[in-house]
Amino acid sequence: MTGEARQRLAAAQAELLAALVAGAPAPAGFDRERVRTEAEALLAKRRRTVERLRPDLADSLGQRFAPLFDGWATPRPRRDGAGGRDDAGGRDDAEAFDAWLVTEGHRQNRRHSWFQRRR
Amino acid sequence: MRRVIPALGVGIGWRPEIDLTIERLPGVDFVEVLAENVPPREVPESLRLLARRGVPVVAHAVSLSLGGAERPDPARVAHLAAVACGVSAPLVSEHVAFTRAGGLDAGHLLPVPHTWDALEVLAANVREAQDRLPVPLAMENIAALLRWPDAELTEGQFLAELVERTGCWLLVDVANLHAGARNLGTDVGAFLDALPLERVAYVHVAGGVERGGVYHDSHAHPVPPPVLDVLAQLCRRVRPPGVLLERDDAYPSDAELSGELAAIRAVLDRP
Repeated sequence: MTGEARQRLAAAQAELLAALVAGAPAPAGFDRERVRTEAEALLAKRRRTVERLRPDLADSLGQRFAPLFDGWATPRPRRDGAGGRDDAGGRDDAEAFDAWLVTEGHRQNRRHSWFQRRR
Repeated sequence: MRRVIPALGVGIGWRPEIDLTIERLPGVDFVEVLAENVPPREVPESLRLLARRGVPVVAHAVSLSLGGAERPDPARVAHLAAVACGVSAPLVSEHVAFTRAGGLDAGHLLPVPHTWDALEVLAANVREAQDRLPVPLAMENIAALLRWPDAELTEGQFLAELVERTGCWLLVDVANLHAGARNLGTDVGAFLDALPLERVAYVHVAGGVERGGVYHDSHAHPVPPPVLDVLAQLCRRVRPPGVLLERDDAYPSDAELSGELAAIRAVLDRP
């Protein structure tokens, strides 16, 4: 019996989470405004975690940090499996976002230029 | 699991950013540590110092996703058990929430539907975790911004049923309860009346902020008077073994933290 309950719950929770972090429509019966508010809160928490882990990124991007992060993060929901520390997913985010910023030309690879200056 | 919860007193969430503050703050009767952030074999020196002073350390988990459809991840439960042993925790706690589903990770605590289906799964998961934990488990109400449609029980009834089925303890977060009242219309009195209050192990108090008509349980602002009022409503019904202040960001001065602890103690000691 628990097996069937698990299956029903799994489907319902997957549908809600997809709406909250992967841009899927709000599941039937939910208040759409509330789903949007929760989705924004989750994205803001994700952004703050990266900001705390990499204050240098936030500093160097200034006002552009939030829109760039949100634009990067929205099509890239966190996958289950980071495990470990409660900010493990945040560490993965910080690394991937940083790499993306460099690739997209939003940021120079500072480590490289620092090394060159020291030479 | 029907072991007695010791008197804990007034406490504060231990965070590495304020470890020295907590060590020297007067009136810290117990602390709580985020289990996911502690390597069991390398317990931070500050926590070991507090433990040597006889300050109880509660291990608090956020990632077991016990309200999720999946069975609990044995590795995560084992980690919580190891941390509990490492800090000699009198009890551990987790949330009535899910954090993962369909291969995605919310990175945050999400509400479960208050249905018999969800209750059955949650109770099975809690029992499974309890079997692998060395100390009692307390389950906490979360701050939700949304609610599931088609609830079959109120939140209070849902928690009472969970206690009935598993013998777990309760961690009542009065800030989360205030958030539920403010954002979702939860009836605070009815919520408290539905709970088996003798099963309250301890209480969470935290600050928050109201933005755009929504109360956000930020843990980064002072504790607002309505949250202390919910604490008072609880204390009029039962004297909880412990009350703990959670502060996770924008840390204020030692004096300010001390003032918040004193305000909590004043509510607790109110005749």
